[in-house]
Amino acid sequence: MRTRGNLIAGVPALLPALLACFLTGCSGSGRDGAVVVYTSVDDVFARPIARRFTEDTGIEVRLVPDTEETKSTGLLNRLIAEKNRPVADVFWSGDPVRAAVLKRKGILAPHHPQQAKDLPKHFSDPDGYWTGFSARARVLIYNRTLVPQAEEPKSVMDLLDSRFQGKACIANPLFGTTSMHAAALFAVLGEEKARAFFERFAANEGKVLSSNGEVRRRVAAGEFAVGITDTDDANVARLDGKPIGVVFPDVGGIGTLIIPNCVVMIAGGPNADAARHFIDYLLRPETEKALAECDAAQIPVRRGVPTPTSMIPLEKLDPMEVDYDALAPILEELSEGYLKKWVDRNR
Amino acid sequence: MPSPLLLERPGRWSQGAAAVLLLLVALPAAPLLWSALSSLGELGSSDSGVFVGRAFAVALLNSAVVALLVAALSLLLGLPAGVCLALYNFPGRRVLFALLVFPLLVPSFLWAIGWSSLSAHVGPAISGVSGCVIAFTSPAVALSLLASYAATQALTASQVDSARIAGGERTVIAQACRHAAIPTLLAASLAGVLTLQDPGPGQILGLKTAASEILTSFSALFDFALAGRQCAALTLLVLVITVPLACFSAPRIAHQILARQTGKPRPHTHRGVASLAALGIGLMVLISVFLPLLGLTLPTLRAPEFLRAWQRALERALEEVARTGTDTLVYAAGAAVISVTLSLLLVLSVGRDPRLRIAVVAACFILFSLPSALSALGILQIAAEAPAWADPLLRSPIAVCGALGLRFFPVATLLSLRAWGSTSSSWTMAAAVHGVSAGKYVWKVILPVLLPSLVVSALLVSLLATADVGTVLLLHPPGRSSLPLAIFTVMANARESLVATLCLLYAAIAVGLLIAAETVLRRKAT
Repeated sequence: MRTRGNLIAGVPALLPALLACFLTGCSGSGRDGAVVVYTSVDDVFARPIARRFTEDTGIEVRLVPDTEETKSTGLLNRLIAEKNRPVADVFWSGDPVRAAVLKRKGILAPHHPQQAKDLPKHFSDPDGYWTGFSARARVLIYNRTLVPQAEEPKSVMDLLDSRFQGKACIANPLFGTTSMHAAALFAVLGEEKARAFFERFAANEGKVLSSNGEVRRRVAAGEFAVGITDTDDANVARLDGKPIGVVFPDVGGIGTLIIPNCVVMIAGGPNADAARHFIDYLLRPETEKALAECDAAQIPVRRGVPTPTSMIPLEKLDPMEVDYDALAPILEELSEGYLKKWVDRNR
Repeated sequence: MPSPLLLERPGRWSQGAAAVLLLLVALPAAPLLWSALSSLGELGSSDSGVFVGRAFAVALLNSAVVALLVAALSLLLGLPAGVCLALYNFPGRRVLFALLVFPLLVPSFLWAIGWSSLSAHVGPAISGVSGCVIAFTSPAVALSLLASYAATQALTASQVDSARIAGGERTVIAQACRHAAIPTLLAASLAGVLTLQDPGPGQILGLKTAASEILTSFSALFDFALAGRQCAALTLLVLVITVPLACFSAPRIAHQILARQTGKPRPHTHRGVASLAALGIGLMVLISVFLPLLGLTLPTLRAPEFLRAWQRALERALEEVARTGTDTLVYAAGAAVISVTLSLLLVLSVGRDPRLRIAVVAACFILFSLPSALSALGILQIAAEAPAWADPLLRSPIAVCGALGLRFFPVATLLSLRAWGSTSSSWTMAAAVHGVSAGKYVWKVILPVLLPSLVVSALLVSLLATADVGTVLLLHPPGRSSLPLAIFTVMANARESLVATLCLLYAAIAVGLLIAAETVLRRKAT
């Protein structure tokens, strides 16, 4: 009983410690000099960059990644919902279309970083609302044990081929880079042909999976023969020793969709100075080099940043010609209209 | 100066206090349900797809099928296993028992990752409904097994001996199974219901489930009304199952959690039955624990340049543990403090009133079954509409701790009710005769008696709260992720070896904390 009594007496001593923990937490969302960065770039790739920024500048980064299933769209909606009282200072987007949507909704503040001067102009907003850097590409992956190299798919249209009936997969086109890819197909092919692509994909018993990560995993496991994903996912599968082949699709045709990262400053964010510091840091050539050399294998878009030998440099790709800004309204319309219904029918 | 007798003959205030506390637990869900109800009029269609989304209707069906199969499997496996563990002695019994219960202590998505990885490396594909059933069965069996074990332990030694004399071991087992069937059925049903609210395995194993669909469609549209309708649909399904069960079983549980002084059956050494039990339970451990754990080791073992891969993965995993460790502990401790404090207040209010005790047990069972997203989204909605000065409360770790504390408050309450049952009313009488105040009596007598049970409640709530990913995902402030959420976030994109190492580290930490807690408690007890 004595020991228990002592334990009871110790309970009040614990309370201040807990209170301290809570209060430390309360400072998490205020104007305290730290920078709150929402990012749809995969956590494993974004976090080392954020950590290096903190080491170099002493400014703490509070990173808010999203889960693979709700990629980009989740954070986009959160930023829209927080418009009147922003929590985030910076949005580091995995694609430029979300940034363009945010610009249309008046959520961004313009910023013209010095570091962006040698970045290609067509990957950035001319008004300085969003700036693009290191890129990924949308690629076809196929299971090498199920698909001989001679029969590898060459175009996204090959997913409609009868040889891949019931064996092709894509991620949910309401989220992430797949949604941007869908918008790009509508822009490049036109509405009729793009709709036909999605309808024929469903008719060919193609499957809609939850994320690009799941596409990678299930193609690698041999549950599907072919799928569409991003270069970073394909590279992780390659590094894991999975039997997958990677194809940059539609060379000589509509081209391969290139998706640059994009960084934006949130208007009215609580820590504007720290936000500018972070954006300037992110746009340095060193960041492009780091993102190219890590498992993400992102393609540097700036001339002069060396591309690792295992990667294809941007100049050797046949990029799909899209106006990223123009994709924003298409994406918004599709997400609430045709694609939403299509997903409801086919997931 | 209130008399301690207030606790023995509490009067109407106790019903009021109990009602207020139970309402407080349900309160965060209110705004979301209100949004759902008020949006119904605007829809004006009888098509269920319009109310909740067609994808959600399909997901709800998938979830129901998984829940049903998991409940059936856990009853089938957990009942005999619990009975055998309680009645028979065999080498390694305690270890096998601990191993079978272990899956309850880690998030279910860890088992799903283990199975998924195992199938990717060595076996046939494990995905969809069958995959989810396999992944959920490990923790579900653990829950049924605990119920079956506890119910069998509630038998008296003389009852077991009588059965043995009357018909041998077969009769003992049959009678014990009969005795434990209802509590185990209840636990199995609860396990099935809990699968309905867990988004993890479905996302990993490629099955659309109701819980993951709520999170996904909310992210896609940020529509509280739709999320509310989806949560309400899931709640209705849950209530259809749990209300009859709660009404049926609450009186029995309220009676069984009362302490009594009887000789417990001592584990019997019967070579034939004990060997069979050891074999069967060993096989269950192998399938439900070791195979998924093997799946978690394979990505590193089979990686090119194994040692380097392992070293890199371990370094990164330890970094993640260091980054998220403090917040994980804060959420766990905060949830434990809130749920244990509320449960203590509730138990003091209920006192020894048998009807109130039954009502509270039934309410706890129902509250625990409700979707966790209901409260979390409710708090999120309040935070979105509240003024900036409320941010330190609603957009901080306090909100996470509060949501988790309220979520697991029924677990703490059931344990506290049982501990309260072990106190004697004669102590209160003696304290009243000697003029001791109610406050002093609670502080000096009741709390020390309840303390071991409160510590166990706090530990259990901490572990359960840590394993809850959905609530933390929705409510955590920027940069304040928990370890399970960190694993959940990177599992789709990171190298297999990193994800697997993170999962193994989590499992090792959970085991380490449990062993430490058990050691401390044992030392204090002696």
